[in-house]
Amino acid sequence: MDKKTIVYICTGCGIGDAVNVDQLKEVVDEDFSLPCKDHPFLCGPEGLAMLKQDMESEGVNTFVLAACSGRVNYDVFNLGPEAIVERVNLREQVAWSMPPQDEDTQMLAEDNLRIACAKVKDTKLPEAFKAEEEYAKDILVVGGGLAGLTAALETAKAGYNAVLVEKEATLGGWLARNKKRITMPYKELTDTGIEDLVSAVTGNPKIKVYTSASVEKVEGGPGLFSVAIKADGNAVTERIGAIVQANGWVPYDANKLGHLGYGKFKDVVTNVEFELMAAGGKIARPSDGKEVKNTLFIQCAGSRDPEHLPYCSSVCCMVSLKQATYLKEQDPEAVNYILYKDMRTVGQAEDFYRKAQNDGNIFIRGSVKEVGESGGKLFVEADDELLAERIRIEEIDLVVLAVGMVPATKPLQTPRIKAPQDAPDKDEEGMIEVQPDSGFFATPALRLAYRQGPELPTLKYGFPDSHFICFPYESRRTGIYATGCVRKPMETAKVLDDAVGAAMKAIQCCEATANGIAVHPRAGDMSYPEFNMNRCTQCKRCTEECPFGAINEDEKGNPLPNPTRCRRCGVCMGACPERIISFKNYSVPMIGNMIKAIHVPEEDEEKPRVVALICENDAYPALDMAGIKRMKWSPYVRFIPVRCLGSVNLVWVADALSRGIDGLLLFGCRHGDDYQCHFIKGSELANTRLGKVSETLDRLALESDRVKFVEVGISDYHKIPQIIDEFMETIESVGPNPYKGW
Amino acid sequence: MGKIENKGGGRPVGYNTSFAEEVFRNVDFGEEIKMCMQCGVCAASCPLSLKMDFSPRKIFTLIRAGKREEVLGSQAIMLCTSCYSCKVRCPRKIPVVDVMHGLANYALRQGFVPRKNTSVFGGEFWRQIYKLGRIDEKDLSRRYFFADGLVPGIKNSLEMMDMGLQMLLHKRMKLLPERPIKGIKALRRMLDKAEQMGKGGARA
Repeated sequence: MDKKTIVYICTGCGIGDAVNVDQLKEVVDEDFSLPCKDHPFLCGPEGLAMLKQDMESEGVNTFVLAACSGRVNYDVFNLGPEAIVERVNLREQVAWSMPPQDEDTQMLAEDNLRIACAKVKDTKLPEAFKAEEEYAKDILVVGGGLAGLTAALETAKAGYNAVLVEKEATLGGWLARNKKRITMPYKELTDTGIEDLVSAVTGNPKIKVYTSASVEKVEGGPGLFSVAIKADGNAVTERIGAIVQANGWVPYDANKLGHLGYGKFKDVVTNVEFELMAAGGKIARPSDGKEVKNTLFIQCAGSRDPEHLPYCSSVCCMVSLKQATYLKEQDPEAVNYILYKDMRTVGQAEDFYRKAQNDGNIFIRGSVKEVGESGGKLFVEADDELLAERIRIEEIDLVVLAVGMVPATKPLQTPRIKAPQDAPDKDEEGMIEVQPDSGFFATPALRLAYRQGPELPTLKYGFPDSHFICFPYESRRTGIYATGCVRKPMETAKVLDDAVGAAMKAIQCCEATANGIAVHPRAGDMSYPEFNMNRCTQCKRCTEECPFGAINEDEKGNPLPNPTRCRRCGVCMGACPERIISFKNYSVPMIGNMIKAIHVPEEDEEKPRVVALICENDAYPALDMAGIKRMKWSPYVRFIPVRCLGSVNLVWVADALSRGIDGLLLFGCRHGDDYQCHFIKGSELANTRLGKVSETLDRLALESDRVKFVEVGISDYHKIPQIIDEFMETIESVGPNPYKGW
Repeated sequence: MGKIENKGGGRPVGYNTSFAEEVFRNVDFGEEIKMCMQCGVCAASCPLSLKMDFSPRKIFTLIRAGKREEVLGSQAIMLCTSCYSCKVRCPRKIPVVDVMHGLANYALRQGFVPRKNTSVFGGEFWRQIYKLGRIDEKDLSRRYFFADGLVPGIKNSLEMMDMGLQMLLHKRMKLLPERPIKGIKALRRMLDKAEQMGKGGARA
């Protein structure tokens, strides 16, 4: 397309008072020969009318709007899919945070304009990716428990077809084996209701159910999955748009709980065994079949214990309350002791705790010291934390261990793979344990034909990796959504909500893919990475580093991109040493040119220049927030937003420093176990790559202090001025960049 | 987990529910105890908990564990001044104040006298109300001061002498004996009824 560009400067919101607009117009004219207009109220009806009129009568299709932050008024300035709109932040980052009518403020505004003009010069209008095949919109649901059944049913209710794969011969999962359940409103026990759910699913014409089945292979990407299913020995292939993984949980292995008497005494059972006994009819002592009078429940059996399950499964307290209620129903005179660390009945479930207290169950807070047998009955000794004494409860007929939930994805034994040559902890045969944070860790459920491994990468306890707070369903494989207890331990009421959420996300993914746009977090983004394969050196950095496993590779190591799996973060672009990966509106040369557009004053002017590459997800809004709060920082910093710090290519560091820029700041999200990166690995990768930047600096004979990575959360806005000030002090002590003026 | 002391000389204590059942049956509001979830808000709210041997929360624990002697002999149950902080704040809506008074009453009925002076004061208060329909300040304080014997009585009286003189001066206390109020007979009928219902008559 032929670009016709006009620069518009808004003088409202204090911008006109802070900077000299005529001078800005001159800069645009001199440096870029672009026409420039100003308006006192660009987002108002008259300002917008001016933009629309220029679009219609003069054919303007590229708009540089120097006004407020691009994070506000984005709906107002949405000029349709045919227009390129570039926003220049003159409000939050200039007028509101810098002294007005100051020389440095003016220079900052000018540079911001230059950066944007350089950007639009290289920007092309993105075209949506269209696969050759037709897109599928059916949803595959793996697992036929409460979560899977609900997800399939909700998919069908929303008008989409679902394919349900269950490994057992019957549907229903754990809930089908329960006697009763506790759910809203948490006053009494209720029927499980699983039969109705199963018949609703099996009777629904939009749902295809495969039982005694497994997923043998998943190829392709969202909208284009080809799924091989083995059902009752027959192989079938389904075309699938998106996948919901609901393969549930297994109880923690009680054989590891010998210290609580499991395996030693027949009358020590797990809560799962107890539930099966209750569902089968009468609750009796397993050892002699005699009636149960005194029962003791041990909560957190193995849970919240660094030796076993370090986390809380959040449901075992309620399960024990439920099972105590079974005993009271069977025999009103039955005595139930519940030995707990903390009773955790989340939300309204507290009501059932009240009921159980009112029923006369005895709650003891403490830790078990011994489970033993005397005279055919069990006894338990425990440290009662509230009495601050050792107690002994005798004449116990049955001890129930409330064991926690382990995600079905967690392998019984950590798989081992061949270690890379420089790995420090490899064994004699050169093998090393697979990290959970890898596609090769989890137990087989999906068998993805992905270069980065067949399963979803997991968090350290084996739950599939998801952004716990911001986008819980998203996994690290686009179009695959984990739900139910495989995602995190949860009770039935929560499973219902969770499954609906995952089904809706899967449908959203099918629709977005069919329209060639990205799913979360860059929802609606039409651009996608394009590879200039002529210059590829088969280094495999892109295929290895993509956080979403979007890029497969052929035998020679050439990348095989799958655009429908792509989340558009640009990590591949940052990884590529040959810089062959570009988006239509985001590329290595583009950012390079933006950096080069910054005007660097001579050394004797004593005005240092710092480029800050800033993550536009968390750090950029934090910076805007600092501006809104009218905080002040150095006017020598030029901010360039990036999709993710993972997309930062090290060549930009060289670009900046060789131009005489005195320092580089990288603002990224927190990484590590509690990462906040929208693209999971982006900021971590940037940090790792930056560790190697000293090489570049040495080559340029520069100090490594000139480049700094800082982690900033969205709520850390108050720290930003201090971070900048400290960095400016460092730059001052290091001295000016010797490349100035070259 | 906090430090566990073995008060029973190394032998763990048994856990029995018979005392809890006794409390549920006999103590006013006693059954409310089973709703306690041991959050400790009552103990934190109580202005007197520092003076108590067991905080209200601990009293409830002891009841559940079956520690009859400790509970009924506890100073705490007679130290409650009915400020109602605990009752207002209890997230489980347990009327802690009423339970404490119920326990104090039950303890006295069972022959426990955790705080002699408090029970003397209560008994004398009730007796005077019954007799006069009002309090005779000098008589009440005399009984209270001398509850523990002659020597502490003199000591207590001397300590409070200044306040006594001030009260005399401001006519808050009379030298002559108080007279019964009008309608004392009607009041006595009410108090008799309360006693019959087991709700009155603090004992010494």
